[in-house]
Amino acid sequence: MRHYLSNIYLGVYTALVGMRITFKQLLKPSVTHQYPYDRPFEQKKNVRDIPKGYRGKLHNRIEDCIGCKKCEMICPVDCITITTQKLPKGERLWDSMNVVHLKDRTEIIGNIEGDEKPAPNTTVTINTQDNGAVTVSSEEIANVVERKPVIFYLDQFDIDMSLCMYCGLCTEVCPTECLIMFDNLGDGIEYSTFDRTDLIYEFAKPEMYEKPGDESMEAEAAD
Amino acid sequence: MPVGLQSALNPDAMGFENLHQFFVQASENWAQRFAQEHAPFLAHLPAPLGELAIMLACCVIFVAVVPLLPLGLVLAERKVSAHIQDRVGPMRVGPHGILQTLADGVKLIFKEDHIPREGDKFLFVVSPYIIFACSFAVFAAIPFGQSILVSNLNIGIFYIMAISSVVVMGVIMAGWASNSKWSLLGAMRSAAQLVSYEIPIGLGILTVVMLVQTLNMQDIVKGQDGIANWIVFRTPFTFIAFFVFFISAIAEVNRTPFDLPEAESELVAGFHTEYSGMRFALFFIAEYANMFAVSAIAATLFLGGWHGIVPAEMLPQGGILGFVLRAITLGGLIGVVIKTLLLVFVMMWLRWTLPRLRVDQLMNLCWKYFIPISFFNILGVGIWGLIFPTDTLLSIVISVIVIILGLIFTFGVLGKSLSKGPSNSAERRISATT
Repeated sequence: MRHYLSNIYLGVYTALVGMRITFKQLLKPSVTHQYPYDRPFEQKKNVRDIPKGYRGKLHNRIEDCIGCKKCEMICPVDCITITTQKLPKGERLWDSMNVVHLKDRTEIIGNIEGDEKPAPNTTVTINTQDNGAVTVSSEEIANVVERKPVIFYLDQFDIDMSLCMYCGLCTEVCPTECLIMFDNLGDGIEYSTFDRTDLIYEFAKPEMYEKPGDESMEAEAAD
Repeated sequence: MPVGLQSALNPDAMGFENLHQFFVQASENWAQRFAQEHAPFLAHLPAPLGELAIMLACCVIFVAVVPLLPLGLVLAERKVSAHIQDRVGPMRVGPHGILQTLADGVKLIFKEDHIPREGDKFLFVVSPYIIFACSFAVFAAIPFGQSILVSNLNIGIFYIMAISSVVVMGVIMAGWASNSKWSLLGAMRSAAQLVSYEIPIGLGILTVVMLVQTLNMQDIVKGQDGIANWIVFRTPFTFIAFFVFFISAIAEVNRTPFDLPEAESELVAGFHTEYSGMRFALFFIAEYANMFAVSAIAATLFLGGWHGIVPAEMLPQGGILGFVLRAITLGGLIGVVIKTLLLVFVMMWLRWTLPRLRVDQLMNLCWKYFIPISFFNILGVGIWGLIFPTDTLLSIVISVIVIILGLIFTFGVLGKSLSKGPSNSAERRISATT
């Protein structure tokens, strides 16, 4: 008899407890963002920025790309297609340079005068590409990367994002760190299209180089 | 024997001996009055024909209005469920998605009407209409106001019980005709469930009928003027009976936590698995119409029907002020609808709170808990009737005090010892199976 009454009591009581919880939820404002109409990254309303290191859309800073094809080789789904032409022997598009990343996310391309690892609390002068000079405090510098000399023309650098599996291996092997994945909301996530062919991104800009004549040699993948 | 019960059981007064007398039963209905005032030409017709026209007019109005209820209730259900889960629900079709159900309905009309090749075509086609018709026939006897009801049957509540039981037949027909395992299993479960839960519902109604001594829905409502006269509070036993009735009613309309006949995760959709298009829509509409009907019956039987919290003679009669005050004090047509919708909301609220019961738990709940409690209520109301032959202020005050003390005792004192549960593992095992 005690169990019988206990069961009745517990049945009623637990149902009431559950109903209290659901009623509280009913009164709470909903957390839905009605996405295509209500874009959280535009409104920035109680939305966290996506975490740093998020693997979003791939992007190649083609000016820094040296055409080494490491990304093409490591890609597990073969979504990167690169064709290159080798420069004549001894020619360089530019000499070895430094890329100085500043803490406010800007970067300066040029050669650092003097020591490459400047002492703290000193001013550093950077001779930029167009023969200018920029002076920054060494405190502002986040890191310095070497910009390798380019010995390839990039005729084609296509990434098919519809094939990409977002493993991020290509960005890891990239020696110049020019192949990156966007980790901001706008560029990294929002790139849906109505046509699948629009997902093939062509980064190569052949007009960037002054093309030599017929004497250029075809580069092989083995290079 | 009390006069009300005697007239209810008198075969001459049942109104089915000839068609003419059946229509005369509708003498109180509003459409007839309306017709007498605004369409006097009906009086020139032969009497049965004129009454037939009035009955048809009533039916047309109800058949036109009642299908609009599911339209709103489906949206309400989706909105309530969404907000309980911190979502927003349908938002696209119309402002805040108010036209979503209409869009779904249009979609369903255009869908292919598929009939299983190996199924029983006739039963398959007929069963949605049986369920639909029976769910809607219930509305004929529910009073929504002093003169707003289709037919003032003197056996109203009995008629409702009878007509809503026919739904089981439609469900079994649908399950059998589909020639599908899911459908048949769902139909079998549904039959078992509906037949079982008819009993606590019937016994719950019986407690009310014992108290008011009539089966006529209008007469049941007429005794409940003012909140003190509402049947829930009139005796402590009817207070319990209300909850038993309401929970059984949830089981009767196959809603979570008693939705075993159409358990999505177990049986796809139960008895209407094979249905598509408009026939599926009919099942859907019938389900929500049923929900509304059952809540309206609970409101009528226990919560005063179209009588409000304040007795009618204390409010100003007529005019806009009287109408508004009546609506605010939950009286009149609007009052019934508000009470009914509140009960419907509780049904939705429960649906999104509790998980589905197991089959054995379902049967245990009915046969081991609800039916004994209902018998206890009947016994209690009988004894109460002997002590207080007529309802006086004293009896109502005692009843309310008993209810309040009972609630305090149960949840404050008794609960602490009862919620500890069985002390050893053997007892726990026993209680887990019961």
